[in-house]
Order: sequence, then C-alpha cells, then structure tokens
Amino acid sequence: MNQLIRMGFAASMMAACLVTTAVPADAFERRDGEKILVTAQRQAVPTMDPSVKYDASTRTMQQAMYDALLKYVDTPPKVVPWLAKSFDVSDDGLTYTFHLVDNAKFHNGDPLDAEAVRWSFERTLTIGKGPAWMLNSFLKAENIKVVDATTVTFTLDRPFAPFTSFLPWWYIMNPKQVMANEKDGDLGQAWLIENEAGSGPYMLKRVEQGTLYELERFDGYWKGFQGPLGGIIYKLIRESSAQRAALMRGEADLVTGLSPDEFDQISKAKGIVTSTKPALTAFGIKFNTQGEKTSDINLRKAVAYAFDYEGLIKIYNGRAVLQTSPFTDSILGKIEVPNIPRQDIAKAKEYLAKSKYPGGGIELEYVYVQGLEEERLMGLILIDSLQELNITVKMVPLTWANMVARGSKVETSPDMIAIFATPVSIDPDAVAIQYHPSSQGAYYGVHYLDDATLNEMIETARFTTKWEERKPIYEEIQKRIVDLQPEIFGMMRERRIAYRDWLKGYEYSPVRMTEEVDFYPLYIE
Amino acid sequence: MLRFTLKRAVLMVFMLLGLLAITFTISHIAPSDPAALAAGPDANVEMIERYRVEYGLDRPVYEQFAIYLGRLLTGNWGKSIHTTRQVWDDLVEYFPNTVELVVFSIMIAIVLGVPLGVIAAVYQNRPIDHVIRILTVTGVAMPMFWLGLMAQLYFALHLGWFPLGGRIDMMTDPPGDITHLLMIDSLLRGEFGTFLEALHHIVLPAVALCFPALASIIRVNRAEMLETLKQDYIVNARAQGLTTFRIVAIYALKNAMLPTMAMIGLRFGWMLGGTVLVETVFDWPGIGLYAVQAAISSDFEPIMGATIVLGFFFMMTNLLIDIIYGILDPRVRDQV
Repeated sequence: MNQLIRMGFAASMMAACLVTTAVPADAFERRDGEKILVTAQRQAVPTMDPSVKYDASTRTMQQAMYDALLKYVDTPPKVVPWLAKSFDVSDDGLTYTFHLVDNAKFHNGDPLDAEAVRWSFERTLTIGKGPAWMLNSFLKAENIKVVDATTVTFTLDRPFAPFTSFLPWWYIMNPKQVMANEKDGDLGQAWLIENEAGSGPYMLKRVEQGTLYELERFDGYWKGFQGPLGGIIYKLIRESSAQRAALMRGEADLVTGLSPDEFDQISKAKGIVTSTKPALTAFGIKFNTQGEKTSDINLRKAVAYAFDYEGLIKIYNGRAVLQTSPFTDSILGKIEVPNIPRQDIAKAKEYLAKSKYPGGGIELEYVYVQGLEEERLMGLILIDSLQELNITVKMVPLTWANMVARGSKVETSPDMIAIFATPVSIDPDAVAIQYHPSSQGAYYGVHYLDDATLNEMIETARFTTKWEERKPIYEEIQKRIVDLQPEIFGMMRERRIAYRDWLKGYEYSPVRMTEEVDFYPLYIE
Repeated sequence: MLRFTLKRAVLMVFMLLGLLAITFTISHIAPSDPAALAAGPDANVEMIERYRVEYGLDRPVYEQFAIYLGRLLTGNWGKSIHTTRQVWDDLVEYFPNTVELVVFSIMIAIVLGVPLGVIAAVYQNRPIDHVIRILTVTGVAMPMFWLGLMAQLYFALHLGWFPLGGRIDMMTDPPGDITHLLMIDSLLRGEFGTFLEALHHIVLPAVALCFPALASIIRVNRAEMLETLKQDYIVNARAQGLTTFRIVAIYALKNAMLPTMAMIGLRFGWMLGGTVLVETVFDWPGIGLYAVQAAISSDFEPIMGATIVLGFFFMMTNLLIDIIYGILDPRVRDQV
C-alpha cells in the first residue's frame, strides 16, 4: 500500500504539468440549508466506543460526540476545565474532587450528572481496553464516589501526579442509553461501535462503513457554538493526491494527510490556508542497548555523533526542528540539554576508538516501516553518515506489525529502529516512562534501557505531587537519558494541515495526533 | 453434464478447505502479535492478555483452526480484533461493492475486447492491427493504479467530467439494501437519480480496472481468430460465397470464443481479488481494501473471511466457465 502511495505520488508529480488549471472550487456542501464541513481523512474509524479505542481517527470522532471532565487546548497545550468546572486535590494528593457544570445534558435529553461520570470511568476500567492503562494501575472503580448530582470524588491508591493530564481522553457516556443496548453482558460494546451516547457538540447521523461518517449539530449543547455549522462529514480519501484534488475542487474543506511535496504545491494555491505547527511527536532511531554490538555505549555515541542531523530536516523541506532533549517542546519541564549530540565526525571517531570496534568494520541493522519513504530516506542518511566510521548499515523494511513483533523481545530487537512516538499527555512522565524498564517490549521501549539511577528518578518523579519538587528531577532525567544515548535523538516534524479559507475557527494543539482534528471550534462563514 | 458439475462441486469443497488451511497457517506463522496491536501501543500486559483470551489467541494454532472451522459451520464468521465488528457484516457490506465494480469492468472489457480482437485478426498486419497492438501492449504493461491516478487527475480534477471517487455523492442517502448491489438496489427502489449517480461514479474506476483484462481478451481473441480463419471449413465457406461478415461473426467467432471465454473467466476471478489498487485510488469501499487492511493489522478473522469469499467466487467462476465450455464444445462434454 505504501509502495502504491509512493508511486502514486511520483505519478501525481508527473501529472502536475497536466493539471495546470484546476476546475474552480465549488461552494461548501449544504444540507437543509445549513453548511456542512467536509473533511477528507485517510484512516477509517474502527469503533466509536470511548472505552475501546483512542487512535487519531477514533478520537477525532469521539471528541466531537463526547465531553470529558477536562480538555486539551492551545499551543503549548494546556488542560482546561470542561465538564468539570473546577477540581480540588486533597493535601495527601490522593483524593480529587470534581465539581461538574449543571447544564450539560446528553443527546437524548438525559442530564449529565456525577453518576454518569462515575459509571463511565467504571465501564472503561472494567472493559480494560483502550485508555484503561492510563489509570488502571492506581485507580479502582469502587474508589470513585458520587457525592451529589454535580460532585464526584476519585481516590487514588497512591499519589500520581500525571492523573489529570489523562482525563481529557476519558469520555463521559450516558449509562441509561448504553445499558438499554447491552447484549450478553458486553456493557454496550457492540452497540457503541456505530452508535453514540454522548453529550458533545455533534451527534452521529450516519455511518457508511469504509466511505464516510456524518455528524449533525446538537442544538442543545451546553457550551454553545462559536459560529454556524450544521454538521460534519468525515470522508475517507486514502490517497494524498486525491485529498489534494478534493481540496482544490472544494469537495473537501479540510485535509490532514498530504505528503510534504503535495503540501508545498497546495500551499501556493488561492483560497487554501495551510498551517504548519510543531507537534508533540518525536522521531528517533532507537538502539537496542542490550544488543550484541549496540550495548557498547561508546559505539552508540559514535553513531550519534556521526549522524547527519541536518539531513533529517531536509526530508521535510525544512518543516521540522531538531530535538534538543528527549522531551519534545510542549512537554512540561522540558529543558535544552547542553551536550545533546550533533554531527561531529572527530568526536564520533574518538568514541569509536574507545569502543569494542575501534576500526569499525561492522554492520548494523536499521529497521523501518516498509514503504514509509521518509524513514527510508533516514536510512540512506545513516548509511552515508556511518561510512566515515567504516560501519555499514543494512536496511530492513518491515510491516508495522512485524516491526513491533521484532522489537517486543530483547533477543530479536534490531540494532537500530526508526520510531515516531506521540506521548498521550504533556506530563513529562508520559515521555520519561518510555525509558523505564516497564516500557520494554512496547514499540517505544525497543531500546531495552535499564539504568538503576534513571529508573529511580522516574519512579520518584511520577509519585511526587508538587510540581516544584518534580521539575528538578525531570531536568536530571533528561540529562541522564541523553548521557545513556539509547537512541539518536531526532526531530519534531510539523503537522501539515490544509483547509479552505471559508473555514474559520481552526484551533491547533500539539497534543493531538497526526491526523486528529478537534471539530468543536470550527465553523463556515 | 450433471455428473461433471457434481464432481467439480465436491472437489471445490476440498479445494476451499485446503485454501483455508494454507491461509490460516501463513497468517499465523507471521511473527506479529495481533492482540498487542489491537490493544494499542500503551496497553499493559493484562490488557493484551485480555484480547488474547477473548479472541482465543492463547490456544495452539491447530486448536484455533479447529475452533474456527467449527464456528464457521454454525454460520459464525467471527469478529475483527481491530474494529470489533462482525466479519459477516463487513463482508456483506464490502464484497458487493467489488462485485459491482468488477462486473461492470469486465463488461466493458468484453464489449470492447471481442470486436477489437476480431478486427485485429481480420485486418492482420494492417495499420489498424498495429494500433490495436499498441493498445494491448500498453494495457498489459501499464500499472492499473497509475492509469487510475491519471484518469482521476485529468477527467475528474482537470475536466470535471467525473467525480473523484466514492460510489455515490456524499450527500446522497444510499437506497435501502436489498441485494447490497447499489446500482441494482437503486433501480429496484425506483431511485433513478441515485442509479445515474452510481453509474457516473463507477465509470473511471471500472475503465482503469478493465485495461489489463481488455488487453488479454484482445490478444487471445485475435490469436484464436487468426487460427480459426485458416481452417478448412472457413475456406469452404468462402468458396460457397458467404459474406465475410457471416463467416467472421458467426462461423469463426463462435469457435474462437472458447479460449477467450476461459480467459474472461480467469480474469474475472483475478479481478475480484486484485482490485485493491483501484479501490485505494478511487476510495471504492471494496473487499480488496478490506482484506489488505486486515492483513496489515494481522487481523485473522477478516483475512479468513475475505479468503473464503474470494476463493469461493474464484472457483465458482471457473466452474461456470467449464460448464459453458461444455455447452459450446460438445467434445468437452463427451469426455466427461
């Protein structure tokens, strides 16, 4: 498929000369006189159930139909009150009391109360899928208590600082509606695949599997709307060139999946607004720190100093910035680590001389996602950079599934592996924990790093509640990770979003995933 | 003829079983872990284990296969670990879309291919034959999706004659399902506007998809016609003073059509399983896209479901061709 995308991309470049004058854009779609926003997206929505999945496409739909206690907005991202107008934390950091707004109601008219909040959290914890991992190791369902209709308390097993940073991804469902559709004790899982029971700004109107999903405005939305919009169509267009064509023809108002070159082309077109914003996603080439060769820290350092970092930026036509810490820019407490490696061949050779392979003469494996052109180019940069050290690179393209499988065991985890990782929250723990042994085997834990000093700092920091006490620990954590060099710290690419100029209110937040959009603030003038 | 059909039908059951066993083995020996993929990148061990137990992935492979077959016999096609949807519901939704596309496409290929093959044979080595040859060579050599992309860019984006993709306009409500074939359903429900819209949408993908089949049909038909036109009975017919049209269109074509029929049947079967590229370009929600998506995410039950459906229809097409062969050629019938 990716091969196809690549070749298709080449084809579209060839056709650029063919399509000099595109058909002028039509006006936006309308239904019953109301304007409809059409967004072209690549990924289908596997299920709408907030307790089962939270990938980019799913969350795009979920956050239009559901509300959570808190919400992420803005750049740099911050957590703002939503269904909970405020919350208090007890002195011991264990009990959180949320005060709910009193005017929120579900799409069927039922009031959204504290019991609905309690039940929704219990449902997600019981089903044990999707976002359950965020809270299930320190929150038990029976410790969520309804005080009155608008007050609910959560008592954690132990203080856990990142707690509130996860809450924006826990959506509140209507217990009565879901349970009325329960089948064989599934807590409504089968029903919620293609139905919703939310309180959000939009209601699900229709689902055409594999083609589109349509939302319609919920007039009784408790927070109101910024501007007029009757509904939203989430249309599946899987090819970058077709997305571009749809935007040009006005058949789509907003697209998110354009390739770097396609994006460059369209940014010059009239009537199109493009936005490139930094994202929370980090790209790094992870070493297996327990691998036969890459367990040698001097070798890892040598490779990191030999790598051509500027090349990474060129792959994105300049729309990326280098990482200055293992933490990306929007993560709380991120510092610029002073000695993070940049290309320095002399230093690389120095480190190589200290390693077990002073003269080089070895081959390192580089595993990347098959058909992902950007990662293939990164491999070529690696080959080129390591020539200086007399190290050869074997490029091994694998499907994502097989790549994850190889990385899941320390014996099979490759010497080097290309990884994009998007933390789910802006709390530093979301990144730090990736370097803790508990992450080993996950795709971002393929480095198999296990450093006692680091582990201790990570554990202390996540269970400390006061930010003033956590902050200095995270500074040390960042420095320590850089010292250990479990990866070539790479870059943060910018998100590429293109939309028609009649679309207003677009708000970005780096915490959203690559193709994730928040529909709520959007409207058409 | 009846015995022949029965024998083939029994054989088909075994072939289908074999196909299932092979697909099952191949998909299960791949090193990927579908439970971990479905549970998501951050899931902890217990969550992955939950998926594993729920989908029976914790059992030995042979046991999984036995359970799968047992369930299949009771009409339970399983559910996708990735989307949690029932496989049968998905197949009913996606497969008819592909059937519609492929039938429409093969019809174009036959309607154009057979006459062009005849013309090329009758005017052998004349300019028109060369033109047709260029067309067929291009058709075979050109990747379908490239053709699709070009057609999309020129006819949809540049000229605006056709829609970019999809089956009907996004604002149109599809007719209620009767046969699940959108064009047929819209006719049955008397929604001619929707029918015309669907027709408008199917043209570009069908044309892009038909090229390789069109080229093969022309080549085979031309070769067979050349062979047939040299036969004694044709010479005899000419000597009898029959018109060229009668000789070519009735006497020669009927006999030359046999291998062409076989080719059409084979192509039809191939096209059913080979539409993924065109489906991707035109966002046609067909079984090709569905199967590839399932394969990428190591989603076993949809893979198996798609394999059964595609395998079954491939075999059915071949059976049908054999039967038609028997009708057209008494020698085949007598051998059985």
